[in-house]
Amino acid sequence: MLTYEPDDTFAHRLDPRSKLAVQIGFAVTALAHTTPRALVVFTAFTILGLAAAGVPLWRALYGYRFALPILAAAPVISMLTIGTPWLVPADGVDPALASYRVLLILLFSAAYVRSTPARDSRAAIQRTVPGKPGQLLGMGVGLVFRFVPLLLADLRRIRQAMTARLGSERSVLDRVNRIGVLGLSRAFTRADRLSVALQARCFSWNPTLPALSFSKLDWAVCAFGAVLGLTAVL
Amino acid sequence: METEQGSVDLVEGDVVRSFARAALLAALMGATAFIAIPISGVPGTLQMLVVFLAGLYLGPGWGAFAIILYLLAGGLGAPVFSGFSAGPGVLLGPHGGFLLTFPVGALLVGSIVHRGRELRDPAAVALPIVILGLVAATIVVYLAGFTWYAWVTETSLPEAFTIVALPLIPGDLLKMAAAIAIVRSGVIDTV
Repeated sequence: MLTYEPDDTFAHRLDPRSKLAVQIGFAVTALAHTTPRALVVFTAFTILGLAAAGVPLWRALYGYRFALPILAAAPVISMLTIGTPWLVPADGVDPALASYRVLLILLFSAAYVRSTPARDSRAAIQRTVPGKPGQLLGMGVGLVFRFVPLLLADLRRIRQAMTARLGSERSVLDRVNRIGVLGLSRAFTRADRLSVALQARCFSWNPTLPALSFSKLDWAVCAFGAVLGLTAVL
Repeated sequence: METEQGSVDLVEGDVVRSFARAALLAALMGATAFIAIPISGVPGTLQMLVVFLAGLYLGPGWGAFAIILYLLAGGLGAPVFSGFSAGPGVLLGPHGGFLLTFPVGALLVGSIVHRGRELRDPAAVALPIVILGLVAATIVVYLAGFTWYAWVTETSLPEAFTIVALPLIPGDLLKMAAAIAIVRSGVIDTV
C-alpha cells in the first residue's frame, strides 16, 4: 500500500503546495497531449518524479494495480467490432495512448503520497483555502486520516460478529443493510463524542497551524509546475 | 522567542456537531474501501451507499462537505480509494468522473429529501421522494463517470458505458435498496 514514509529525498524536503502545483501542472498537460513523442517525455518525467520521491516504479505500479484492468479495457473494447473482421487493431491505438497517459498521471501522484505527511497536507489546505471553509477542510482531512483505521476496525468487528452468527448465509441485501446501519450508527456515536471533546478543547476558527516553510526552491518548483501547466496549450 | 496574542474564536456548537459527523462519515467512506462484498459475482465496495447516506442523514450541505473531505483526504495521501490507493492522480484517473461527482450526488439526495436547510427525519419522508433522490444522484454520478472515462481514454460513450458503468449497475441497485431499508428502519437520527 502506498502511503507516506519518512525519508530525506528531494521531494520530502519540498512544501506540499509546490508539490501539488507540479502534480496539477503535469496532469493538465498530460490530459492535453496524447502524441507518442509527448508520451515519451511524460514517461521520462514520471520516472524522474518517482525517483525524486524514492518510489520504485514497480511499487507505484503495484499501488495502482486496480486501475490497470480498467485502463487496459479501453483499447481492447475499442478494437472489437460486431461482424467481420471482429478485431480492428487500428481502432485501439488512440485509446491505448490516452489510457497510457492516464496511467502516467496515476503513477506520478505516488511521488506526492510517499513524500507528504498528513500533517503537512492539512496545513497546506488551511493556509491555501481562505477563511472558515479552509479551517474546516483542513481539520476535517486531519480527522479522516486519523479515524479511517478506527472505523475500519469497527466494520471488521461487525463483519466478524455477523460471520460468527452465520450472517454470511444471509442475502447480500441483508448483509449490506446490516453493515450500513451498524457502521453508520457507530460512526455517528463516535462523532457525537468527538464533538463534545472538540468543544471541551476550545475548537476554534483560529487555531495555531502546523509550521510550513516555503523556501526559494519551492518557488522555483511552483513556477515549474505553472510552466508545465501552460504547455497544455502548446 | 516570538509570542502571539489573540482571543480564541470558538466554533459554534451546532457547527461542531455537524462537522464531526461529516468528518466521521468521510472516514467511514474511506474505511468501506477496505471492505469488499461480492455483489453479482464482482467484489464491490459500499462507497455509493455512503454517498446516499451522507445526503439522507447530513442534508445537502454537510453531506456534500463530507464527501469533499473524503476526496481531499484521498487526494492528499490517505489510502481510501478503491484498492487502497491514494493521491491526486486518482481523482483524474479512470474513475475520476464518478469520484468528482459524488459530492453532487450527496447534494442531490439531500436537496430532494430535505428540501431546505432544516433537516427532516428521512424515515418520515414519503418513499417515492427518497427513491427519486437516490435515482437522481445515481444517474448524475453515472453520466459523469462514463463521460469522463470516454474523454480521458478517447473511447466512444457506449464503449465507456460498457466498461465502467454497466458492471456497477447491479451493485448500485442493491445499495439503493439497502439505503431505503436503512431509512425505513428509523434507527439513525439526523444531526
